[in-house]
Amino acid sequence: MVNQGQSSIFSRLAVYGALSLAALYFLTPLFVMLLTSLKTLEDIRSGSLVSWPEEITFEAWQMAWTSACIGVDCGGLKGYFWNSISMVVPAVVISTMIGAINGYVLTQWRFRGSDVFFALLLIGCFIPFQVVLLPMARTLGFLGLAGSIPGLILVHTVYGLAFTTLFFRNFYIAVPDELVKAARIDGAGFFTIFWRILLPISGPIIVVSVIWQFTQIWNDFLFGVVYSAGDKQPITVALNNLVNTSTGIKRYNVDMAAAIIAALPTLFVYFVAGKYFVRGLTAGSVKG
Amino acid sequence: MSGLKIEQIHKKFGTTHVLKGIDIEIEQGDFLILVGPSGCGKSTLLHMIAGLESVTSGTISIGDRDVTHLSPKDRDIAMVFQSYALYPNMTVRENISFGLSIRKVPQQEQQKTVQRVAEMLQIEPLLERKPAQLSGGQRQRVAMGRALAREPSIFLFDEPLSNLDAKLRVEMRTEIKELHHRLGTTMVYVTHDQIEAMTLGERIAIMKDGIIQQFGSPREIYDNPVNQFVAGFIGSPSMNFIPCSVISMDNGHGVEMENEAAKFVLPLGRSEPALESRVGKTVLLGIRPEKITHHRASDVGSAGIHQASCRVEIVEPTGPDTLVFVKLNGVSTVCRVDPDQAKKVGENIDLMFDMNRAVFFEAEKGTRIC
Repeated sequence: MVNQGQSSIFSRLAVYGALSLAALYFLTPLFVMLLTSLKTLEDIRSGSLVSWPEEITFEAWQMAWTSACIGVDCGGLKGYFWNSISMVVPAVVISTMIGAINGYVLTQWRFRGSDVFFALLLIGCFIPFQVVLLPMARTLGFLGLAGSIPGLILVHTVYGLAFTTLFFRNFYIAVPDELVKAARIDGAGFFTIFWRILLPISGPIIVVSVIWQFTQIWNDFLFGVVYSAGDKQPITVALNNLVNTSTGIKRYNVDMAAAIIAALPTLFVYFVAGKYFVRGLTAGSVKG
Repeated sequence: MSGLKIEQIHKKFGTTHVLKGIDIEIEQGDFLILVGPSGCGKSTLLHMIAGLESVTSGTISIGDRDVTHLSPKDRDIAMVFQSYALYPNMTVRENISFGLSIRKVPQQEQQKTVQRVAEMLQIEPLLERKPAQLSGGQRQRVAMGRALAREPSIFLFDEPLSNLDAKLRVEMRTEIKELHHRLGTTMVYVTHDQIEAMTLGERIAIMKDGIIQQFGSPREIYDNPVNQFVAGFIGSPSMNFIPCSVISMDNGHGVEMENEAAKFVLPLGRSEPALESRVGKTVLLGIRPEKITHHRASDVGSAGIHQASCRVEIVEPTGPDTLVFVKLNGVSTVCRVDPDQAKKVGENIDLMFDMNRAVFFEAEKGTRIC
């Protein structure tokens, strides 16, 4: 018994040890970034990478937000941050809504060839971004949306549909079809069933779709750099330009602060809804 | 007035022919049972009555109104599903009133209906709960309540009791029957359980392979099955089918039997014209277990009743009766005897064969001879 107890303590220690090491490995860069962003340039030059700041200052953050030079324009990340927000929010909402309706149709209102349709849609998940660059540029030009935020919203919505449809389809496939049949007998139509029966039980998968889409779209660089210009660029592109704009001195603290600002929204979304993410991925069966 | 009329209904899924020309007509207020093994098309037929499944050809009328091409909501029906299909995000109250609110029934009237239904089914304490907080039996009641709220012209039940445990199933069975008496509404009930079919039904349609094998009252179907499938499907334990040759006797026909204990003849005590041409040939004797009993002095000498001795192979006590298995013409045969009169395995038992209700089938095809 004593041996068994000891070995279980050992295996526990081993597990926690390994997990702590992994956490350390992933958190160290963030820690260094945070530390550097709070130092003065003086401090950075004199100290080591992980040394504690002499004095904690938010100057670099302020500069990154309001006055860092991005190209020739020295207005900080502020404007680009709102660019990203006004691109991400509509794109996430629209792609999630359409994905939900697609999933609903593909599971509860099957039509001839709906399985083939779904299979074709799945291919959309595997199309590399580069393949669509040129055709999409022409399409945006044709629609008069080139170089604008609505253009980026359209690109991200279209590209995200394959994923959101897949999420909702796989979630709704586990909903017993008798539920929809009962609602039809009760007199509910297509959209009433969707709004009043299916959507209220879709919480977990909506969270998954929102987190996934938010992270993907916010972090996207390629579409942003290709389909937007000037002051309409998303924050990822602006961050790149900020770091590459040289004004004589390399302001590591500003670069770090800017990088953290660019990453904050995705971190925020994950902290708020992260626990539902795992739950939503494993959920499916609707009991009751 | 006709309650439900189904004429020449066919259903094809691609190349599979699921229903092959179904004809059923019942009066208003009848309780119709669709029963058969899984895959016989009974659920498909019910879904077609509900309008959830399209009709390949044929017509369906509910109460003299052709509903073949109407959508479910316009058919004036209510349905109880096997999985209950309660809306998980709504309380019991909302579940019951959902159909009413869709139909824009005034709020006050909705609440009155919910109250009436809840009283009828004794689910008042549950009204504010969600389906996930209910037990299986309670969910079942709520599903019934949802159907009752609508006061439809026909109720459809799709195996509503098959998810309940045995005791609850028997209770709910009685309740559904009571409900039918009280409401007097036409009901169509799908089940694979022949006991449910017998106890609930006024009219039973036995289906197999997309065809109605027999349509009649429980009594007719039990006593007078049209073929071997129906005879074997209805009744528990199932009817015995014993291959035997027909012989001609002084007072009619008889069949030859053989077992380890003896070789004997079971006289019918009557002459069957249909058996005349089969004298000397093999037919299937169909005899229900309760027609082979222990020795009863009062029955000795009665017409059509014959006594014979058989070796006991297996004994299964059920409580009120004991099932004794003997071998006749190489076929295991079940007999229902009084527990006090049952013998042990290996012993011989005197059995009384009541041939008055015996039926005969073609040995290969299973069609009824007489």
